[in-house]
Amino acid sequence: MDRRSNTASRCSCSIEGNVIFRKVLIANRGEIAVRVERACRELGIATVAVFSEADRDSEHVARADEAFCVGPGPVARSYLNIPNIISTALITGCDAVHPGYGFLAENARFAEICGDHGLTFIGPRPEVIAAMGDKATAKRVMHEAGVATTPGTGIVANVDEARKAAGAIGYPVLIKATAGGGGKGMRVVEHEADLERAFASATAEAEASFKDGRVYLERLIANPRHIEIQVLGDEFGNVVQLGERDCSMQKPSHQKLIEESPAPHLSDRVRASLYEMAVRACRYVRYTNAGTLEFLCAGDEAYFMEMNTRIQVEHPVTEMVYDVDLVREQIRIAAGEPMSFEQRDIVPRGHAIECRINAEDANANFAPQCGTLTRLEFPKGPNVRVDTHMRTGTVIPPYYDSMLAKIVTFGASRPAAIELMERALSETVIEGVSTTVGVCLELLRTPEFQAGRYDIGFLPSYVKAIR
Amino acid sequence: MERAIEGLREFGAVLRRSSLYRTRPWGYAGQPDFVNAVVTLSTDLSPLDLLRALQALERRLGRVPGIRWGPRAIDLDILTYDDVQTSDAGLRLPHPHLYERAFVLVPLAEIDPAFARARDALDPVEVAGVAALGDTGAEPRVSPPAGGSLAAMSRDAHAADRIRRLAEFLAASDVVSLRIDREDTSVELGRRFGLAPVPASPAPDVRVDTIRADLVGIFRLARPAPVAGESFAADRELAHIEALGIRNPVHSLGGGRIVSIATGDGSPVEYGQPLFLLDRG
Repeated sequence: MDRRSNTASRCSCSIEGNVIFRKVLIANRGEIAVRVERACRELGIATVAVFSEADRDSEHVARADEAFCVGPGPVARSYLNIPNIISTALITGCDAVHPGYGFLAENARFAEICGDHGLTFIGPRPEVIAAMGDKATAKRVMHEAGVATTPGTGIVANVDEARKAAGAIGYPVLIKATAGGGGKGMRVVEHEADLERAFASATAEAEASFKDGRVYLERLIANPRHIEIQVLGDEFGNVVQLGERDCSMQKPSHQKLIEESPAPHLSDRVRASLYEMAVRACRYVRYTNAGTLEFLCAGDEAYFMEMNTRIQVEHPVTEMVYDVDLVREQIRIAAGEPMSFEQRDIVPRGHAIECRINAEDANANFAPQCGTLTRLEFPKGPNVRVDTHMRTGTVIPPYYDSMLAKIVTFGASRPAAIELMERALSETVIEGVSTTVGVCLELLRTPEFQAGRYDIGFLPSYVKAIR
Repeated sequence: MERAIEGLREFGAVLRRSSLYRTRPWGYAGQPDFVNAVVTLSTDLSPLDLLRALQALERRLGRVPGIRWGPRAIDLDILTYDDVQTSDAGLRLPHPHLYERAFVLVPLAEIDPAFARARDALDPVEVAGVAALGDTGAEPRVSPPAGGSLAAMSRDAHAADRIRRLAEFLAASDVVSLRIDREDTSVELGRRFGLAPVPASPAPDVRVDTIRADLVGIFRLARPAPVAGESFAADRELAHIEALGIRNPVHSLGGGRIVSIATGDGSPVEYGQPLFLLDRG
């Protein structure tokens, strides 16, 4: 393993005289591990990386003060290997663990285990993660908090209950798995005649995917936009919202491809109501650390969908518009510091767009690619941010998600940010694997994106049309 | 060969496959050339179940149990299985001769760059004897020496680790000394125990096993502490790894002689870190 001498020379770091963490274990890989490592370095905190055998030569390993291999390539044996990750934190003398996104970030049990071993989990309390991780519970809690939720039901036990509830909600309805994610256990039911079969198959799929077959029903919102609100809460009960991100440009798999802030054509009334609901919800659950409330918006309607209790992939969009460092705030908050700003201090300015550059073949339904990056040139210049862990020669292993980089541009206006993104993507050269650079550039140039008139149905139908 | 690879798909997903390589026969003369290839298979089968499945596939493809190293329709071997190490009588993993044979390492390094160093350390004459099918000349289809990785040796972060891995490779090979010069870094490794270089096959029966850490923790030698050079006939607990307050024993998995102890008593160890080199000969 790597052990470098620069840890010893670090002094314990402090902000306004208070000592925060000395050493943080980053339980992740890829660009987010690099992102967290940068924030730690700026705060004067030493870092410990964990990695799988497939990632030995990875950027996040090279940058950290210390690095430990925790298992072979497959995630279940490395990045999800809780005993080895906790053991690494303990033998290296870490006082906190940053989970990044994905992997263990929303695993309440992991957060709890960290606490049991005297390690601070940089995220919300385990019980909040658990409540928000269960979709039906999250929806009930949000409803109690006075947040608008999609008209629907609690858990429906059988098909008769489902039929009765669906009649009351009105077709089309959506059957969703309470443990769900990634579209598993989800069915659209247009007519009552289809309900029985859809209920059975959704239940079976949920049971197979999550070992939890419980489902609930929701009204299907036709062609909504996906708008999410960034929040931060500290241990002193302070909560701020940092505006919205429009994440409606989603692949057929519902994975986001392009995000922007602010959301185009969002009425002041809806925007104010989303902000107000997000803050109210956080106060209600006494939310701490960074989180995101996702809403489906159609016309003047906005309904809570789910809450992500972690830093998100697309957080740089918010950082550009609000001129804040969300990861730095996460660390400070976890260390028991008050947030470094109040609601009135943070004022949005301009417009930011993020394109996710994935090793995927856009012509083959975004099938992930693996291989070696033989040539790599990222855009530069003012107001262009690139978050990546890629270098020329990097081998993309088959085990992990296919995101290579996030390119973010900032402009005084939406057209300026789009123009800058077109320039940035044109400068980007990636050879060795197929990427989403081309499709992102095409999408930016569509009249729908240019006009800011697109919903979550846009990209799937665009993909179908060009084939 | 294509039928064999098709057959493998019954046991899981073929993630990567190498080119086909033609090799001069090894061990016996007067045989037709062999064709070799390596694939990465993602499977739910355990190592032993996979071995049985491969043997069944071999039988289906026409191999009859017969002369060792003799001509046959197809020979399917498991080279490595994640990081599993076994010395079961029926199945030894990683494959005991993995690091000795160009016809294994050349295709393996093609699909897994982690083995490029081991390949580049082989006798160039032997490597040149393994040519990708379809190539006309004697040029084997191998990438140039793994400059990218070795060049990185001058960087403090990985130097110790890479040298350690080279040393480990050296110990498990017949190479007596090895010198690598790259840019500002030069590494020379030699073996202390003197095996005369054996130029001709078959290789002598020296089998060096590496016992590796299978979890992260603190390495503690058993008491009384084992020492290099010590031999024992049967399985023995050599050390334990302390992790999360639990003492996880490290066994020798059979008898042998300790060639070296690769990790200091009381040191932190990572997953896969070599702990002991054992001579099973």
